[in-house]
Amino acid sequence: MRLGVDEIGVTELMGVTEHARALATTGAALLLDSLDRETGLLAPLAPGEASPAVEGVLGEIAAWARTAMGKAAPPALWRSLARNPHYLEATWRKDVALMAPGALAARDKRRVALGVAMATRARYMIEYHTAVLRRAGDTDRDLLEILGVVDHYTTLNTLSEAMQIESDIRPPA
Amino acid sequence: MTTIRMVDPAAVSGKVREIFEAVLRRERTVFGASSVSNIWRCMGHSAALVEANWNRSRALMQRGDFTPLQRELIATAVSIANACHY
Repeated sequence: MRLGVDEIGVTELMGVTEHARALATTGAALLLDSLDRETGLLAPLAPGEASPAVEGVLGEIAAWARTAMGKAAPPALWRSLARNPHYLEATWRKDVALMAPGALAARDKRRVALGVAMATRARYMIEYHTAVLRRAGDTDRDLLEILGVVDHYTTLNTLSEAMQIESDIRPPA
Repeated sequence: MTTIRMVDPAAVSGKVREIFEAVLRRERTVFGASSVSNIWRCMGHSAALVEANWNRSRALMQRGDFTPLQRELIATAVSIANACHY
């Protein structure tokens, strides 16, 4: 908060964090282990297979993936969720709403999401968020800076959990 | 409940004292702390641990191309994802 983020910014950060953590679980649970490999727990929906309702959402995702990731087709994550149109639509709408620029910039939100994927060792989502960030211009040096923060806070979190340290830091009144 | 006794910043000397002073200067600037935070005090029993982690903190949190806010956003998200209360 002292860095100038108000309650709206903090709430956005929480939203991105919980969403990124949920997606990390989803990607891993679907046994999607690489952005460029199509094999997983379910068969991702093929282009001709979509019902009209799903086609609209997948079309939006395809347009986004072309611009934001440089990918020709929607990632397998979304095409796997597409086996349940409600699941797909609710999750995609949430993604769009939470990752859009607000009090926090879209790129910073994406860096947060990558940090969460790294912290939870979610291979597929690490590749996914990295593809978006590289497309936006992030370099190896930037990615390593994100990993550095993840790494250092894994250290501090481990120490504080292991030693059951009580918080002595209070938000400003 | 903390599992070990917190080191009293007034009772340390040498390298740990030197680092605690630097930590407090930093924490005063970053979040208005008036004494060294518990996370550093718990490390104070081992000068090697304090020094190694302080060097990493400086290397990873105080240097680089990102703004302090950008780094802190990621740090907070990682702590939440790790379910770390502190």
